[in-house]
Amino acid sequence: MAKNYSAGVKEYRETYWMPDYTPKDTDILACFKITPQAGVPREEVAAAVAAESSTGTWTTVWTDLLTDLDYYKGRAYAIEDVPGDDTCFYAFVAYPIDLFEEGSVVNVLTSLVGNVFGFKALRALRLEDIRFPIAYVMTCNGPPQGIQVERDIMNKYGRPLLGCTIKPKLGLSAKNYGRACYEGLRGGLDFTKDDENVNSQPFMRWRHRFDFVMEAIHKAEAETGERKGHYLNVTAPTSDEMMRRAEYAKEIGAPIIMHDYLTGGLSANTQLAQWCQNNGMLLHIHRAMHAVLDRNPHHGIHFRVLTKILRLSGGDHLHSGTVVGKLEGDREATLGWIDIMRDSFIKEDRSRGIFFDQDWGSMPGVIPVASGGIHVWHMPALVNIFGDDSVLQFGGGTLGHPWGNAAGAAANRVAVEACVEARNSGRELEKEGKDILTNAAKSSPELKIAMETWKEIKFEFDTVDKLDVAHK
Amino acid sequence: MNKPNTYIGIDKDIQGGMTSIGKIIRDAWVFGILPETQTCEGWNLAGIDSVLQKVNAEWDKYGCLVSHLPPELVERHQRIHGAAIEKARVEGWCGEHELEDDK
Repeated sequence: MAKNYSAGVKEYRETYWMPDYTPKDTDILACFKITPQAGVPREEVAAAVAAESSTGTWTTVWTDLLTDLDYYKGRAYAIEDVPGDDTCFYAFVAYPIDLFEEGSVVNVLTSLVGNVFGFKALRALRLEDIRFPIAYVMTCNGPPQGIQVERDIMNKYGRPLLGCTIKPKLGLSAKNYGRACYEGLRGGLDFTKDDENVNSQPFMRWRHRFDFVMEAIHKAEAETGERKGHYLNVTAPTSDEMMRRAEYAKEIGAPIIMHDYLTGGLSANTQLAQWCQNNGMLLHIHRAMHAVLDRNPHHGIHFRVLTKILRLSGGDHLHSGTVVGKLEGDREATLGWIDIMRDSFIKEDRSRGIFFDQDWGSMPGVIPVASGGIHVWHMPALVNIFGDDSVLQFGGGTLGHPWGNAAGAAANRVAVEACVEARNSGRELEKEGKDILTNAAKSSPELKIAMETWKEIKFEFDTVDKLDVAHK
Repeated sequence: MNKPNTYIGIDKDIQGGMTSIGKIIRDAWVFGILPETQTCEGWNLAGIDSVLQKVNAEWDKYGCLVSHLPPELVERHQRIHGAAIEKARVEGWCGEHELEDDK
């Protein structure tokens, strides 16, 4: 017999606040930081977020008769204080796995960070973390190759990889750009990289750039005997065009391509990652636009969520911040999302801002890329913080060497090898870094000049987005 | 304001000459492609680009690294670049400028 339903406005908490609910292993769990409008009870706001990020609008439009609300609804099951900040609170919401299409981070985000973020009962809302159940992880493609396969493709083991973003300078010609790549690779880098905003502008069309860069790679490989790569940015106005550029990169022998996953879009990224997996290509991911989403401590999406989304959508590298250097990055929080990128199981650890256990099963890891405002003096700390499975990317810290690009690359290569050797022999890198580098510079004039160039640089800006325990 | 069509000269360049073009000219001095009195003032970009190709051809002989240069070129390189770094520092250049565009 059909149930009876009466018209009228019900409070959200009557349906969506379920403090006695025990999340299932298959639920997708979310932690939101909610800043409510004044006077609205926490349970009501938490329930509203659960409703508006799941089935709230469905009930309004279709009535409960057409959907099994009790099965598909999000359930706000817990509320916690935010340490040091009484303007907001954490709300934990569980969503049934069948609310979302398999293998679609697009679908998950459309619900969890969709219309709910404009909801009037909220002053601000931030998605702090998501727990993807292993059952959902298994439906996603993930990184095209993963860390170990990348090492095998590039034939590089036992140390962090070195990269450098090439800035278009001197008339912006593709030929000169390719030359800068060659010099960096010849000097000792493993990778060079397109700037994230270099796509196919009138000053340097993509095909011309790809051709000159590949010439540079072949020349550097022939002279050094090492495998080299350049992140050819295939980000394009349409996914068809993106795929055309990816196909060409493969055709000319490039081992790795690059995509701006947030500005390019997650559907395009997932498509590209699946293609890379099927075609033996590595995929470097830039996070341009992330700060729009993740920098405000009260509103948006935390980068640890964007990290999980990327691992599911697919990418072999992801820019992670540096901890040291001039760009934003709280140390403990950064260490947290580095673990999320690389490890197969990450335990809940509030000291690193991780709200849930996350089991990735056998999904390959993503290599974190430390990039931005770093130079050779940061090398001991970077090796210590990031370990071997990382790309340390020195842009100005390579190209800004007074002797030129190759010298900058050589300085960084000598420095990283000295740090790895010191670490492997039991020395404390961050404590003995000066001594380790000074000793290495005795046999490398390029390193000696790099150390003189950057010796007095310090960055002492405070971090805007700290872990909540530090906010007060 | 229109940008100049010609180079201002390494002696008047920004950052005490620690620029992309400044590096090309200094390397051209090292390899004897240009006399050390040549500042390239008034040169157009094509002229600079032409010097760059010659500088690149010279560096290719030594794997682009100072540590691979023969002793007489090492001596010239150290003298020319050492003086340039010293002069640039006096004029306010420091490594921080090189990191400004990083992200």
